[in-house]
Amino acid sequence: MFKKLIQESMGKSPWLFHINAGSCNGCDIELVSVLTPRYDAERLGFKLAGSPRHADIVVVTGPVTKQSLPRVLRAISQVPEPRCIVTMGSCPQSGNVFRGSYSVAGPLSKYVHVDVDVAGCAPKPEAVIDGLALATQILKEKRGQMK
Amino acid sequence: MSSVMNALSYQHFPIYAIMVLFLGAFLIVVFGGNRTARNILALLSITASLAFILALVKPVMWDGEIIAYWMGGRVPAGGYAIGIALEVDALSLFFALLVSVAVFVSGVYSIQYMRHDDNEREYYTLFLMLGGGVMGLVLSGDLFNMFIMVEILTFAAVALTAFRNTAKGALEAAFKYLVVGSIGSTCILVGTSMLYAQAHTLNLAQLAQVIPGNLNTATKVAFALLFVGFGTKAFIVPFHPLAADAHGAAPASISVMISGVLTKSGIYGIIRLTYFLFQTMNLGTMQFLLVFIGSLSMFVCVTMALAQHDFKRLLAFHSISQIGYVLTAVGLCTALGVSAGLYHAMNHTLFKGLLFLAAGAVLHETGTTDLGKLGGLSKKMPYTTVLFLIGAFSISGIPPFNGFASKWMIYQATYQKAVESGNIGFLLVTIIALVTSVLTLASFVKVSQSVFFGQLPRELENVKEVPFGMRFAMAIFALLCVLTGLFPNLVTTYITEPAARAVFSVAQYIGAMGFDASGVAAETAVSFAHVGVWEPISWLLILCIALLSVTIVAVASKYDRVSQCSGEAVDSKYELFYGGEAQEFSQVGGGDLFWGFKHNWRGYFDVMHRLHSGVVNDYALWAVVDLALVLLFSLIVL
Amino acid sequence: MTIVITALQYLGYVLIFPGFLFCFLAGMLLCGIDRKLVAKMQKRVGPPILQPFYDFFKLCGKETIIPASASKTTFLMAPLVGLAALVVIQLFIPVFSFSAFSGMADVIVILYLLLIPAMSIILGGAASGSPYAGVGLSREMVTIISCELPLVLVLLAVAKTVGSAMGTGLCFSLSDIAAYQAMNGSLITKLSMIPAAVAMLLIIPGETGNHPFDAAEAETEICEGLLAEYSGAPLGVFKLSHAIKMLTLTSLFVALFLGGLGTGIVALDGIILFLLCVVLTAVSISFVHAITARLKIEQIFKFYWTLVTGLALISLVLAWYGL
Repeated sequence: MFKKLIQESMGKSPWLFHINAGSCNGCDIELVSVLTPRYDAERLGFKLAGSPRHADIVVVTGPVTKQSLPRVLRAISQVPEPRCIVTMGSCPQSGNVFRGSYSVAGPLSKYVHVDVDVAGCAPKPEAVIDGLALATQILKEKRGQMK
Repeated sequence: MSSVMNALSYQHFPIYAIMVLFLGAFLIVVFGGNRTARNILALLSITASLAFILALVKPVMWDGEIIAYWMGGRVPAGGYAIGIALEVDALSLFFALLVSVAVFVSGVYSIQYMRHDDNEREYYTLFLMLGGGVMGLVLSGDLFNMFIMVEILTFAAVALTAFRNTAKGALEAAFKYLVVGSIGSTCILVGTSMLYAQAHTLNLAQLAQVIPGNLNTATKVAFALLFVGFGTKAFIVPFHPLAADAHGAAPASISVMISGVLTKSGIYGIIRLTYFLFQTMNLGTMQFLLVFIGSLSMFVCVTMALAQHDFKRLLAFHSISQIGYVLTAVGLCTALGVSAGLYHAMNHTLFKGLLFLAAGAVLHETGTTDLGKLGGLSKKMPYTTVLFLIGAFSISGIPPFNGFASKWMIYQATYQKAVESGNIGFLLVTIIALVTSVLTLASFVKVSQSVFFGQLPRELENVKEVPFGMRFAMAIFALLCVLTGLFPNLVTTYITEPAARAVFSVAQYIGAMGFDASGVAAETAVSFAHVGVWEPISWLLILCIALLSVTIVAVASKYDRVSQCSGEAVDSKYELFYGGEAQEFSQVGGGDLFWGFKHNWRGYFDVMHRLHSGVVNDYALWAVVDLALVLLFSLIVL
Repeated sequence: MTIVITALQYLGYVLIFPGFLFCFLAGMLLCGIDRKLVAKMQKRVGPPILQPFYDFFKLCGKETIIPASASKTTFLMAPLVGLAALVVIQLFIPVFSFSAFSGMADVIVILYLLLIPAMSIILGGAASGSPYAGVGLSREMVTIISCELPLVLVLLAVAKTVGSAMGTGLCFSLSDIAAYQAMNGSLITKLSMIPAAVAMLLIIPGETGNHPFDAAEAETEICEGLLAEYSGAPLGVFKLSHAIKMLTLTSLFVALFLGGLGTGIVALDGIILFLLCVVLTAVSISFVHAITARLKIEQIFKFYWTLVTGLALISLVLAWYGL
């Protein structure tokens, strides 16, 4: 029963940690707008965490530049299991307009397993909430697979 | 046969307790060339001294006997005391107990701690002289004898301060101590001779009989001189900068003696002076003097400690801050106040001893006490860390350790005094005491973060735990800290209340020496009643039940199943979070940790910084100014 | 036989009411209501009221990572000690006329016992070795210093008021304060106590580390400060302690200023106490949270040592002269 309680709670309290991997700041602003009174993601239990140790979902924005790649990977590795990685915007997914640049190391899926991609430049808040809601379902499943 | 039995009677124990220490000192000079012989001699003499004092606890403290001992059987003739006397009442014995315990533990600690120093023989000689000096001071029944002992202990302390004379600042500290200490000693000498000229006696009991009725200008001046003299020994404001220098430079085992024992001798002198010799404590203005100086010491020194960046200097300032508590409580002139003050004096010896020994352990292993250069030692020195934390919690008054028990009594005593006397000033004292306590906590949080927690500097990778002998000495103090905190009722009933009762029984003190005490008011009914409630044992029991249930639930829900770094290779997962950067050494700590507090008080700290110039001329000037003020005060008030 | 029953009774006090179970449920609910209220004040829907429970159980199911540079024992034990100490404080605070253990500790002791949970979080954070925790520790300690002075003044004012009314001069015992209020009505109805009550309301968010006095765990600048390296169950225990601390401080307020509202029936009193705590939380924590931005640490210190201390001082002086 306790295990079930934990698994249920896992889907109701996802805490976000936001990593900017060279983003143009568009997606960052959109992510914050998700938490504003108009969209209020907190009603689903979302909260921005200050440290990767507290996070369940890592949101990566930006095309993952060469400079930021080791930092992104290190921060992701510091997130405790179970965790979900969500890319936000087209950049981390494909490189977007920065694709092919000498300084871009992306896409992110080359280096870590990405659970959810939210496409768009920048994605609408509704799309972001949808993607995060999907991530929480994955989180719940991952918790179910843990011992 | 009967003479042997007679020599073993406890009447002789006070002089034995003093003599074994001095005897040990002289024997070490003669036979101390060999390390084993030296250690055995030192251990024997401190153990014997402790045993003699412990044997006196029952007759003197619990049965209320006052031992009057005339050396060489020279009893008073013609109504005048001509011989040298020892007089041991519960108050003397209380301080003697503190001295012997501190000397014992510090001696045990020294064996390992001083191993690597040169001139160990001289060290032990001076150490035992210092212990014997303080012991003689508190057991003496004779004012001039007290002066002699003050001289012995001052010079032993000065020499020991400069013992590691290759260390930075040691000679400078010793010099400052010598200059201001001599001013103090001179004050005591001049005060003593003025009293002798007036009263034609040096015996404390007889002085207490003669002086109070015959106050004149000369005795008033003598009062001021003696007060300032003993004040320098207690390092109360304005003599606190000396303590910082002396403690910082002296070896840790000597810092224990200076802070735990030497300052107490000053407090003892002030109690004898005000309560016994002049019997002026029922004057509101006299209470004001003691409480004012006490509160000032308390607050100024705790703020000075917040600004320190050296472990031992910080402890030194706290030492004076705690002495401020003692003086404040004693100055209230209520039974509860005196009992609380003595309780705190005892606790101060225990926890400050523990903290200095912990500082010594850190110095012994790392070679530095600079807060900015240390860090993360809890992984290398776990026992020292735990013992340090016990000391830190005790001094900051975290229940259930002993500092809390006595501070809690002091708050009640001050507040009760405020309500009873209707004087709002005492209320301010309660508030200052409470705020000082939290500032004390803050500065020990600073120490634990800067020294024991946080990150380990690369240079300290090879630090080891200290040897068993040093841990054992610290553990004695730690155990006493816990016990005296857990059983406050036993401590007050059996130790501090008899001593506090002795403070209010001047007539018995005079009578025990065979002088006429009819002119002195008989012992007033003393009441130790207080309003608060605190049952540490029940609290601890409930806490244990609570902690046990939390732990059971936690373990049952696999709280302790953690992932941690195994082996040498550091996975980035187990690195600290640095905003994504690789982990690098970055220790937050050192002297300026609480800048949020200091920023708001920057004006105050600027003034303090300017006042504590570190120039010995300034400090000597302070001593003179202090003397002038107290002189003026006593001439007007007494 | 009677000993067994008494022991079971006391165990019941510790484990069920007003001990662990009550603290857990009431504290978490209080926290949830606070979050909901803040959301409502900001015209948001807000999280469900049970959100703190979800957070807690989720954290229990997460991995607990111990950084390589942390001291393991301190790191893991600190949250548990803090939680246990906090529950014990709650046991010492009377629920109107019902007091499980409140004859064992007076207000000054409570003042010091409140330092133990604070110390546990400080030492736990320090043991992690993180520099963010170092900065958080510095700020947390300064916040404690800031709150201590006005809190002391408030307690002394109450002690004096009750003491002089009862003829003893002073009264530090919480159960005596409760008994006095049961006879003579709540202290807050006294004019001289109103500034102290306001000061206490301002102290509550500072002591619990709530917005705007949360510089110590500012998540946007120092990564939650002392908690930066905590994850999984220990973090959950700290979050639980934070929730219980809200309950403890608000029920201390009730015990000091709103006594005498009880009915004598323990279960009902428990509910009344909880409702009063909700109201106090709404006023002192949620409302202040919703309308302010985070203060800098030196501003927190200044705020408490000037405005709040001034309020408490007015009360103390009024109480001193028997007004």
